[in-house]
Amino acid sequence: MTIEVGAARVLVPTGIRRGDVIDVRALVEHPMATGLFRDARGNPIPAYFINDVSVTYGDREAAHFVWSSGISRDPFVEFSLRADREAPLTFTWKDNKGGVFTQTVDIKFVA
Amino acid sequence: MSGFSRRWFLHASGLAFLALAVRRLAALGAPRPRDDVPWKVQQVLKQLFGDRPVQDGHVQLDVPTVAADGRVVPVMIESDLPMAAERYVKAVHLLVDNNPDIHLAEFRLTPQIGQAFVSTRIKMRMTSPVRAIVETSDGALWGAAADVRVTVNGCG
Repeated sequence: MTIEVGAARVLVPTGIRRGDVIDVRALVEHPMATGLFRDARGNPIPAYFINDVSVTYGDREAAHFVWSSGISRDPFVEFSLRADREAPLTFTWKDNKGGVFTQTVDIKFVA
Repeated sequence: MSGFSRRWFLHASGLAFLALAVRRLAALGAPRPRDDVPWKVQQVLKQLFGDRPVQDGHVQLDVPTVAADGRVVPVMIESDLPMAAERYVKAVHLLVDNNPDIHLAEFRLTPQIGQAFVSTRIKMRMTSPVRAIVETSDGALWGAAADVRVTVNGCG
């Protein structure tokens, strides 16, 4: 199974009204290798995982996650957000090898 | 000799057995005491929170009782604590007792989050208690724990 490391999706509901507490779901493709496994030839697979996630809403950080390699492959996270202004919601995932992946969705209100 | 008759022995042992059984039953009904937290987990808690006690309540932890695949175990943590500017849940910690890395994740939140709720998927090496600990902005700690039985190892 091959994956495209860093390919990310952020999902927010449609039809948001000002002040709604909405559900945000985000997924990034990443092996999240613990460093404890070996491959078929017996060589250890080095640790390679996302350890830092930052979520900014407009110009402020709304949430920040610190992860170990214990989060499953292709890490998924879901949480709430109080949508009180129209602004971009940006995810930044960082891994232990210096990889940085970002994805943005615009929070927009229905008329 | 008459004091130690067979009848006396039967009565005495029967009573002793009954007493033990009653204690067992009482222990089953009682909430699990704090000191059932393993030493290695207590060390992690001490490192994270110092000597602040973790109280039971205000946290709802949803995990499966049996996880068929330890590589993907869904976890949902929710708290009824407020997310107001003056007092909010500033962090949600996730700990798995029997994993190589006990402190699995930390979710730092702000009042912008609106509701203390986090859902994700984790790996579990083996059957273990899973603990969710919520830290409020004024330093209070609330926790919940649940046992998850794992049939396929997810950590190598």
